[in-house]
Amino acid sequence: MGGEEVGVEKATIICRCNDVTLEDINKAIEAGIDDFELLRKYLKIGFGPCQGRGCLLIAARIFARRMSKSLGDVLVNYSVRPPITPIPAKYFTTVSLAFQGGEEVSRGGKS
Amino acid sequence: MRILIIGAGVSGLFIAYELLKRGLKEVLVLDAKTPGYGASLRNIGCFRSSFTSREHVLLMKESIAKWLEIKRDWGVFIEQRGYLWIARREDTLDVFRELAKFHNSHGVPTRVIGVDELSSREPYINTSIVKGALFDPTAGKMSVIEVFTELYIRVKKMGGIIIPHTPVERLVSSGGIVKSALTPRGEYAADVFVVAAAEGSRKILESIGVNAPIEPSPRHPLVTEPYAEVIKSGLVIDWDTPGSPHITQTQHGSIILARDIKDEPWTPLNSQRHDAFEKIIKPLSELYPFLRNVNVNRYWMGYYDMTPDHHPIYGPVKPFENLYIAAGFSGHGLMMAPITGVLIADWILHGRPRISVAENLVLERFETGRLVKEIAVVG
Repeated sequence: MGGEEVGVEKATIICRCNDVTLEDINKAIEAGIDDFELLRKYLKIGFGPCQGRGCLLIAARIFARRMSKSLGDVLVNYSVRPPITPIPAKYFTTVSLAFQGGEEVSRGGKS
Repeated sequence: MRILIIGAGVSGLFIAYELLKRGLKEVLVLDAKTPGYGASLRNIGCFRSSFTSREHVLLMKESIAKWLEIKRDWGVFIEQRGYLWIARREDTLDVFRELAKFHNSHGVPTRVIGVDELSSREPYINTSIVKGALFDPTAGKMSVIEVFTELYIRVKKMGGIIIPHTPVERLVSSGGIVKSALTPRGEYAADVFVVAAAEGSRKILESIGVNAPIEPSPRHPLVTEPYAEVIKSGLVIDWDTPGSPHITQTQHGSIILARDIKDEPWTPLNSQRHDAFEKIIKPLSELYPFLRNVNVNRYWMGYYDMTPDHHPIYGPVKPFENLYIAAGFSGHGLMMAPITGVLIADWILHGRPRISVAENLVLERFETGRLVKEIAVVG
């Protein structure tokens, strides 16, 4: 219960993309979020460029332990979304650059 | 009185919230999956009142007033930043002038703006390809997840019981009264039933011989990594490009890009399409050239639960005495949700809604042929 323990929770980063700490997860659970998908979305765990590869299982295990649920129950409605890794939008913009003064040439999807 | 609401989406939860606020003690909400699994957390969080039917305009005005109360009382991110419908062609501005006339006559202060005002509202827009815009100052955007989570927590704290992973397979009725809902987890009896299960409402109501004509139409939004604020408005819509590509930016900084892409109704939500990226990004990167420099992070699907006249189905389900519906919002469920809660609670507790145009939206309209007309569905 001492100050040290709080410090550890605050310093323990679970989701690096969005800087979500163990303290954030604990606070969200205490606030009444008892559904993992809701907690995940609320804290934006897995919303960053890692797509959850770095954080999802850690967060799910913490949640499962706190709520006395199995990992399978916690992850039951999780869906992986494409793209697997962030894609530069420029690969889909084979635009005529006339209106832009040609500041950058689109490479299209090939090079 | 025990109320059973089927569907823990934003509509079902606002109905529960309103009933609990008015002193009801036994409010149960069942969900087939997890809370907000459907359109409630898949939509892009925008709202407006610039519709083209009297029903939508009047209901949405009241709903926005409610959203602003919620912003004040809950401290959540809801911002009235306005919508911009962009004209690429000169003659589109004439259409906008007509639309503004209709909106103004219903008390919605939309107006046509020129390129100068447009570029002061949207500094990153490519002014060389736009002619002006229709501006709706009543419209805006919100943090959907924050609002939904806050609602969920409040319903629970007020004593509402929300049970996930409990799909209703059928209703059981006798003598014009619904008695119970059957689920794989057992039978739930109640005095009043509310079906707020989006496209799933159809199957639930079929079990007692009621036809609710809802067809889920797939939508395809993309979201980028977070960036500093570049899209100032609630939503910017490219009116002159087929499928009305539209763009907004979340409080977190991610930019959401979307467009209506022709797709079959009922296409499963895991049927993402490789052509969506090009179809969505290309027209929007003409409007916002900086988009060529951003990364797309995620792509998900969600449904617009369309009804034949693109308006929700509200109110009592005849011939049953204790059955109500709130579904088929046709892409506007989130923005209408606070007023949905008020209206359905009115119907249950007082027999009629406080806003009388809502009575035009009862399920019977599809049988009597008294459909409501709406032409601008996007956003």
